[in-house]
Amino acid sequence: MGLAVIINLAAEGDAAFNEDFTNILLDGLLVAGILPIVTMALATSSFGNELEDKTLGFLALMPVARWRIVLPKVLASLVICGPLLVASGVVATLLGFDGEVRPAVAVAVALSAGVLAYAAIFTWLGLVTTRALPFALVYVLLWEGVISTFMSGVDYLSVRGYSLAIMSGLDEARFPALEDRVIELPAAIGGAAIVTVVFLLLGVRRLQRMDVP
Amino acid sequence: MSESQVPIQAPTINVQGVSKWFGSVVAVNDVSFQVRPGITGLLGPNGAGKSTILHMITGKASASEGEVTVLGQAPRNNPELYRDIGVMSEHEAVYGFYTGREFVEFTARLHGLDPIAAPVDRAIGLVGLEDAQHRKLGTYSRGMRQRMRLAAALVHDPQVLVLDEPLNGTDPRQRLDFHDTMTNLAEQGRTILISSHILEEVETLASTILLMVSGKLAAAGDFRAIREKLDEQAYRVRVVTDSPRKMAAALVGTDGIDSVSIGEEGELTVLSRNVTSLQRSIPRLAQEQGIRLKRVEPLDDSLESIFSYVVDR
Repeated sequence: MGLAVIINLAAEGDAAFNEDFTNILLDGLLVAGILPIVTMALATSSFGNELEDKTLGFLALMPVARWRIVLPKVLASLVICGPLLVASGVVATLLGFDGEVRPAVAVAVALSAGVLAYAAIFTWLGLVTTRALPFALVYVLLWEGVISTFMSGVDYLSVRGYSLAIMSGLDEARFPALEDRVIELPAAIGGAAIVTVVFLLLGVRRLQRMDVP
Repeated sequence: MSESQVPIQAPTINVQGVSKWFGSVVAVNDVSFQVRPGITGLLGPNGAGKSTILHMITGKASASEGEVTVLGQAPRNNPELYRDIGVMSEHEAVYGFYTGREFVEFTARLHGLDPIAAPVDRAIGLVGLEDAQHRKLGTYSRGMRQRMRLAAALVHDPQVLVLDEPLNGTDPRQRLDFHDTMTNLAEQGRTILISSHILEEVETLASTILLMVSGKLAAAGDFRAIREKLDEQAYRVRVVTDSPRKMAAALVGTDGIDSVSIGEEGELTVLSRNVTSLQRSIPRLAQEQGIRLKRVEPLDDSLESIFSYVVDR
């Protein structure tokens, strides 16, 4: 939020501010940094503690469909991380754009979609390996950070790409800096939805097939 | 009871040619057995593969080879089957922030029971923890936690009970209560499979035993017959006393003692083919003769050595 104010004061005109605000704060800091890292920290450990203290074994012995165990874990990450990330993004956007609601809504929707997709990915990863956090960190830094920045086609397979495209698609006027480098809005929404559902199903499948300690 | 209840004495658990390996380690090797209503003890030393077998029976682990059925159904990926199975795992998987009653209520809800008050009261009553039910699980002794976990395993009135080392941490009084509870449940036609690495625990509880050693089923059947065979094997105990020659003389004249030798430092090595008799004779003789026992320790340190003859036969 403070950074939004600083950028606002430092920028010499609307165009310069828009570009700096979008590239530095929304993309560089929030979407590429805070969003995946905060979600990663929570979602990778959502099953970790239960695997460690063996309470997952207790849950696995209940007559409960496996999706009813995995889905609440993903939603819990959304409920805990979502408000925190969305609130900071929305307040920063409101500060940056003089209280305009539309870009703030665009940021809120984009961040929510990002949290949900990341939560599904990292929850699955937490079931696959006990070293989910380092693997997630490598994925975020390499795939979402470096590769998706320099390889345009990767945007179709990048949660960061989906988030930026949703942001841009919902308010093209306020995020012109993203216009030339993001995928189409329908593709971004579809991609985020597919990633979320696929990794949810992978999580359910993993829970069905793994040997529960 | 559910519709899936099988006729009395038909096998409720069927393990057929089951193996389980983790990489190059074979935990269970081509094991087959059936479990019928009543109490069956799964006996073997630590690391024999008991828990692995129980994990496959309860569907927590897949078999690398072979087939497991419970009440005629494969337990793997079959959550609905848990309506008829009560499981108490070896690990103390409890939520310490719950009170004992809340934990049992939580289990009842997961089983879809409605209303839950009566079955929760009944389950807690069965384990005799009414007075402590409103205390946090984190404040319980290990034995109390075991009993409340047993209540959770019983809350949905399952037809099949699988209990992995249920008597860990319990005191003699609790063991007697557990014995009575299990006997009552067995008399109602339930199938109860109890694992233990302690011979005496299973001896007093189960009429049928499955004996596992090194991932293999070493013996199965009537407990007394297997016990008699076990007693045929020589069992060595080292006895250190303040009067080794006096103790040796007393032991030599005792039934069930095959030989007694005195070592260079005065320690006795006693060979017996009757473990139970040996365990009782040594302290009795010491008391009668006024001998001070400094140390009594089995030289065949684990059950594995006792069972080795069964495997090698």
